[in-house]
Amino acid sequence: MSKDGSSAVFPLTLEYAVRWARKNSLWPMPYGTSCCGIELMSTLSSTYDLARFGAEVVRFSPRQADLLLVAGTITTKMGPVLRQVYDQMCEPKWVIAMGACSSSGGIFNTYSVLQGIDEIMPVDIYVPGCPPIPEGLIYAIMRLQDTIEKGLPRPKAERLTPEQARNAMSYREVITDSIFKDPSKSSLEESLAQSAAPEAAKTKSSHSTKEG
Amino acid sequence: MSRLLLKNREAQDGINGHLKQNYAQQGRYDEDANQEGILWLVSSGDLPEVVRKLREDSSLAMDRLADLSAYDNVDGVDGAGRFVFFIHLYSSKFHSRMRIKCLIAEGEEVPTLTGIWPMANWLERECFDMFGIRFRGHPDMRRILMDERFEGHPLRKEYGLEARQQFSDSLPIRMVTENEVSK
Repeated sequence: MSKDGSSAVFPLTLEYAVRWARKNSLWPMPYGTSCCGIELMSTLSSTYDLARFGAEVVRFSPRQADLLLVAGTITTKMGPVLRQVYDQMCEPKWVIAMGACSSSGGIFNTYSVLQGIDEIMPVDIYVPGCPPIPEGLIYAIMRLQDTIEKGLPRPKAERLTPEQARNAMSYREVITDSIFKDPSKSSLEESLAQSAAPEAAKTKSSHSTKEG
Repeated sequence: MSRLLLKNREAQDGINGHLKQNYAQQGRYDEDANQEGILWLVSSGDLPEVVRKLREDSSLAMDRLADLSAYDNVDGVDGAGRFVFFIHLYSSKFHSRMRIKCLIAEGEEVPTLTGIWPMANWLERECFDMFGIRFRGHPDMRRILMDERFEGHPLRKEYGLEARQQFSDSLPIRMVTENEVSK
């Protein structure tokens, strides 16, 4: 119904409406273990105002959240705890690895630190930076919203190739292009497919068929 | 040089002189570049006695245990002994600090300081966790940082920097029963 009381019809499928609603009501579960958590708080506060993207309802219970924001160093002892938090979240759920530590272990290549949370759970978006600026996190959430709107499949729990990880250091190059552009027309995709390992190329082609 | 600094230096000189005079029989006394004292104990068995004496000494009043740990001396830079065990003391009355160090062998037990400072409990557990140094008379000699199933002691030089031990689940939180506490 429109504002003036007249009836209005929106020509869309229910599936699209559900995706649209999910996209605009992401409830994050913050998992801040170090300085990235401070940037996460900054992103949620009034200056950057994550509420503009519908993701301001921070839930401290995984059962009520659908976006796990891992912001900080995860030790090997913390790993099972984080995995349990992830398992407790209801489907559909998404994961953002914020910062170098949760993406790859960062500078802590030591006996006690998990080398990236993708060793224990699938990760949708990696945010580079140490710590990332709030704009970086907002950008990642917007890209996640794009994937939700398009209904793209979640990535499998596998690690990035070194080539992909290197390219991920520029926000626009990999995060957007590899997901949203037509792979056949992207020169970056071609160069990635040539240089990446054969099994990575295989998963990429399977993604593109699903998109098409 | 500011007046305060000069005053502090004079006070530190007085403390160092006092330490040299009265604590020489337990070990060698050194000063570092900042004039802070290091007392090298000959035997780790003297530790509680010396620490108690330092605390009760009215001209020192080393009443606070600031740190307790160790470092690996596998290359023998600081003498013959696998580890160098150290404690940092702080005097809240005179605002001065000092260190006590002691060379200990592999497998040697150090007497606990939990009877003097209860906070030594967790510091000694960390020292055991990281280096495998056991403390005689400690009420609860378990790991504190690493998982209970972890093998080895990660701050020993022979432990690989990247030797991660991952466990698929975390242990449930439990209370330690009276029987488990080693007397």
